[in-house]
Amino acid sequence: MNDNDTLTATLAAATCALLGSTIATPATAAEADQWSFDSSLLYYGESDDRVQDVSAALSAKRNFEDERSLGISLTADTLTGASASGATAMNTPQTFTSPSGRAVYTTPAGDVPLDDTFHDTRFALSANWTQPLARLYTVAAGLGFSTEYDYRHLGANLSLARDFNKRNTTLSAGIAWSQDDIDPVGGAPVPLAQMLDVGNGTSKRSSDSKDVMDLLLGFTQVLGRNTVLRANYSYSKASGYLNDPYKILSVVDPLTGDTIARVPAGGVLGPTGVYRYESRPDSRAKQSLYAEVKHSFGAPVLHLAYRFMTDDWQIDSHTLDARLRWPIGAASYIEPQLRYYVQSEAEFYRASLVAGQPLPRYASADFRLGNFDAVTAGVKFGHRTASGNEWSTRLEYYMQSGDVPRQQIIGNQANREQYPDLNAVIVQFGYSFRL
Amino acid sequence: MKAILAVTAALALSGCASLGVQPWERDVLARPEMSLDAYALDAAIDDHIYFSKEASSGGRGFGGGGCGCN
Repeated sequence: MNDNDTLTATLAAATCALLGSTIATPATAAEADQWSFDSSLLYYGESDDRVQDVSAALSAKRNFEDERSLGISLTADTLTGASASGATAMNTPQTFTSPSGRAVYTTPAGDVPLDDTFHDTRFALSANWTQPLARLYTVAAGLGFSTEYDYRHLGANLSLARDFNKRNTTLSAGIAWSQDDIDPVGGAPVPLAQMLDVGNGTSKRSSDSKDVMDLLLGFTQVLGRNTVLRANYSYSKASGYLNDPYKILSVVDPLTGDTIARVPAGGVLGPTGVYRYESRPDSRAKQSLYAEVKHSFGAPVLHLAYRFMTDDWQIDSHTLDARLRWPIGAASYIEPQLRYYVQSEAEFYRASLVAGQPLPRYASADFRLGNFDAVTAGVKFGHRTASGNEWSTRLEYYMQSGDVPRQQIIGNQANREQYPDLNAVIVQFGYSFRL
Repeated sequence: MKAILAVTAALALSGCASLGVQPWERDVLARPEMSLDAYALDAAIDDHIYFSKEASSGGRGFGGGGCGCN
């Protein structure tokens, strides 16, 4: 190979690399007409017998000539375990009608009520196509579908990117739309309706739906030979049924803070306290700013990401994520990861409803709409085999801890656990290969 | 908001003309781990977990979803 050939090859490789900053990873000559696969097996387990998830995912990509590529991904999840219902803890056992309306479950005295009837299987399929549109433009389009026992999702997205400045800068714009149908076990509760005895379905209606529209504006910039930056602005508008059909609030005494007792009708099982289903607004607009940077210090690579999100439910959140990929020898690496997340509560978040007071229009005791922070600490280990395939193992620990605003704590509630901390282990095995 | 973004983008774009590298200086950026979309499956899995446990989603890409978990 003479000098000219070497230069041509270098320029060809560099040209391909330039395209790496666009929507899709480019096909190099050697990769064209080849399938590449990423597979993963994940276990997510919360402490105290709460949610357990086993998930298998396979994503396939085929590169064609002229930097066109097809991506297909498949995921299957099985979820089991118990999930906090939103009701407050009490010094006496509490009995609830299960979401199906056909049985009851009882929470022991002193415990934060968990609904243990929670189990689901989810399948998701998505496909996307990426191709150059003109010399400096790349277009990408995708479709997604997922189904669960009580939920069905259909989505589509389209984005366009243009390169500038010798492809050191990329601007992109995208739009996504989705339509989700919700068909909860036992029906969708009427917002703020009271939980009724087994067999009485008058507080439930049939299925419901929501749609979500997302807009994304992106900016990618090569800052130097070792550093690349991406910044995104996104806007998301959800409309329709935005409640969690399985979340409730306790109706409590204004002085003691204890749940108002209730006696089921004669001969039937039913709740032993007054509980109401949550009510969220039927629209939500979110905006977020996201920035990430990758920097190579020789062989090690540092990845930093930050996101600010704000919405019209008055939730603000900040997310910081740091990863450092550290090579071990020529074929392996270890990557410690640390993530910090903090959010403020939704304006309609309430630990409980107070008996005798007019019902608010919106109320939810879902802890995920509360005030909390979360830390994820973990490490990933990866190894590239002689044939170029890569396997990896990731172990993470997720810790969420929150609190109920002091002015919302009434009487005896102060002596009980109000906001159950959540601790989860995440274990993931990955294998990437080519055919 | 959109106008501010457009102006910011335009300013950034002109400012960025002096940033960046020549095509033959792409050696480090060409490494697979330097791609911003490297390990997309890990990122999708993370997005799905956090989407179902927290009130925020998206940012890096589209808002996620397609799950009754939130």
